[in-house]
Amino acid sequence: MKPAHFAQHWPPGEPLLEIRGLDLDFGTPRGRVRALRKVDIDVPAGQVVGIVGESGSGKSTLAYATMGLLAENAEVVGGAIFFEGRDLLAMAPGERRRLLGSRMAMIFQDPMTALNPVRSIEKQMVDIQHHEGGSRRAKRQRAIDMLERVGIPDAGSRIGGYAHQFSGGMRQRICIAMALLVKPALLVADEPTTALDATLEVQILHLLKELQSEIGCSILFVSHHLGVVAELCDRVAVMYAGEVVEQGTVRDIFNRPGHPYTRALLECDPGRIATSTRLLPTIPGEVPSLLGLPGGCIFRQRCLHAVARCADETPGARVIGTSHSARCHLLDDKEQVMPA
Amino acid sequence: MSALLAVEDLRVRFRTMSPLKAIATGTQNPFVDAVCGVSFEIAKGETLGLIGESGSGKSTIARAIMGLRPPTSGTIRFGGEVVNGLGAAERKLTLRRMAMTFQDPVGSLSPRLTVRSLLMEPFRIHGITDRDPAAEAERLLNMVGLPVDFGRRYPHQLSGGQARRVGVARALALAPDLIIADEPTAGLDVSVQGEVLNLLARLQRELGIAILIITHNLNVVRHMTDRMAIMYLGRFVEVGLTERIFEQPRHPYTQALLSANPVPDPDAVLDRVEISGEVPSLLRRPQGCEFHTRCRYAQDVCRRVAPLPVIGADEARHNFSCHFPLSASTAGVAHAS
Repeated sequence: MKPAHFAQHWPPGEPLLEIRGLDLDFGTPRGRVRALRKVDIDVPAGQVVGIVGESGSGKSTLAYATMGLLAENAEVVGGAIFFEGRDLLAMAPGERRRLLGSRMAMIFQDPMTALNPVRSIEKQMVDIQHHEGGSRRAKRQRAIDMLERVGIPDAGSRIGGYAHQFSGGMRQRICIAMALLVKPALLVADEPTTALDATLEVQILHLLKELQSEIGCSILFVSHHLGVVAELCDRVAVMYAGEVVEQGTVRDIFNRPGHPYTRALLECDPGRIATSTRLLPTIPGEVPSLLGLPGGCIFRQRCLHAVARCADETPGARVIGTSHSARCHLLDDKEQVMPA
Repeated sequence: MSALLAVEDLRVRFRTMSPLKAIATGTQNPFVDAVCGVSFEIAKGETLGLIGESGSGKSTIARAIMGLRPPTSGTIRFGGEVVNGLGAAERKLTLRRMAMTFQDPVGSLSPRLTVRSLLMEPFRIHGITDRDPAAEAERLLNMVGLPVDFGRRYPHQLSGGQARRVGVARALALAPDLIIADEPTAGLDVSVQGEVLNLLARLQRELGIAILIITHNLNVVRHMTDRMAIMYLGRFVEVGLTERIFEQPRHPYTQALLSANPVPDPDAVLDRVEISGEVPSLLRRPQGCEFHTRCRYAQDVCRRVAPLPVIGADEARHNFSCHFPLSASTAGVAHAS
């Protein structure tokens, strides 16, 4: 195969995707759920940015908002999503749709439901190249090459098969092959290894990393698994209840966490506790309801360090290092950054 | 033997097609062995972890012990008595002494019953009338750390962690000697996982319950269990003290599994032993050692001869089935610093 250095007009290091002050609500019978609030995230060209958070933190909503695949009751209230310098939210629907499957692609958590069960893999892989020129035969050949690249043995004869004829790991490989076949500038991956077994998970992570550096695309990688994020990502944004509470380089987040939530989350991960223990740390309390949101810091009810100001005033992002910021009042007063 | 639970040469076989179809298609062997020849014991108050990838037979073992799936052969002794093949009435008596919590915390609770009725159900099923079920339900809620007014809620009004606690409370209702916890942390966030695991550990300490934890989460096994057994294609490939196995795995599959655990530390030096390929189908078991298709150390003999378990001399009888077991120099695995 030709060395895959694809048309990558965007200069490396410059933000390929810039999410600016994104506010997003879901209309429900019980009221508006304020699912994303003032989200700012940059995805520099050629980098892997991890979005980490627990269930209900809005990490998948953010991924779907980027791709324009939100449910009907979602409403973007404010903010912008710049992709290659253009605001996706201001684009005509048709124009935005044309970016999907050409400049942007996505892989989903469940590879079985992401593939069409009644169309052969070949048909689906040829279809996804509809933006590109060339004969059907050329497209088929490209699909076979890509399947081989992601480690499907005997791709030439298996390409005629259907999704159910492949194992879970193979299906996710097929999804990755499909997404990368169009040489996207941005790949959005929503928990792509959650449904897979441990030994497959590492295989898929390595594959993603390899292909990413080969193609030179950026990845927005959504996961709840801190270990996976630490291994794959260059930058990390930590989300809690619809806000990005902290973001920075992977080392900033794991070695010098500034926000109390990030610290608590890292402490809870049993994978980081070196000696075996039967008393694991937890974060007491629950994620607050995002209906009729009270003011103040979103984490304050569960925060061990909360002060009066946390209830009165919503904290903005404080810069605490080169490209490292966190939303916490405590960072104003003193150096709160935990040593490594 | 003073073991609470002793499983000997357990086999569970599933039919893959109807007898008629097997004849029509000329299939020689219309069966698949989900569990083939597994033996282990659990002592009173001990925690054993069963670990393996999907399809390795972990949950089938649990279901066989609980009598939800009759074993094809082998014996299951509980408190010294053989419990497989018992009639329904006798079976019920043993089921008072063992309980199971299921993988799906909300799905395993009836959506039409309140938490209180769910907690009273075990007493009704087992015909226990000498206690006030309502008072018992309150006691159980206290035990698992849920407020008493949760009794009025329905399962859909519970968070994943709370539903898990209700599952544990139900399992505790009849004061069992053994709890089988099938994936106790599945679907839970890291910040809540600890709650459920701490609860299980506390109950074990206070009530002396033995626990069989079934999981694919290595971190859970490392922190929660005394001994662990690693399964591959329905067989144990290695069994021993958890601490010892994490320190020095002897079977190449164990080594690969342990090193496949992503470490939440960007600076971790990963000396990763990655294995290629996927778990083979149970319908087409490899010849010889069943792991040879993915094993980086496989030699000719591995492809021909199935290895017999090597039983260690230590008190935990650390054992593994491998022709070329790993030694200290080859078994290192990266850990969080």
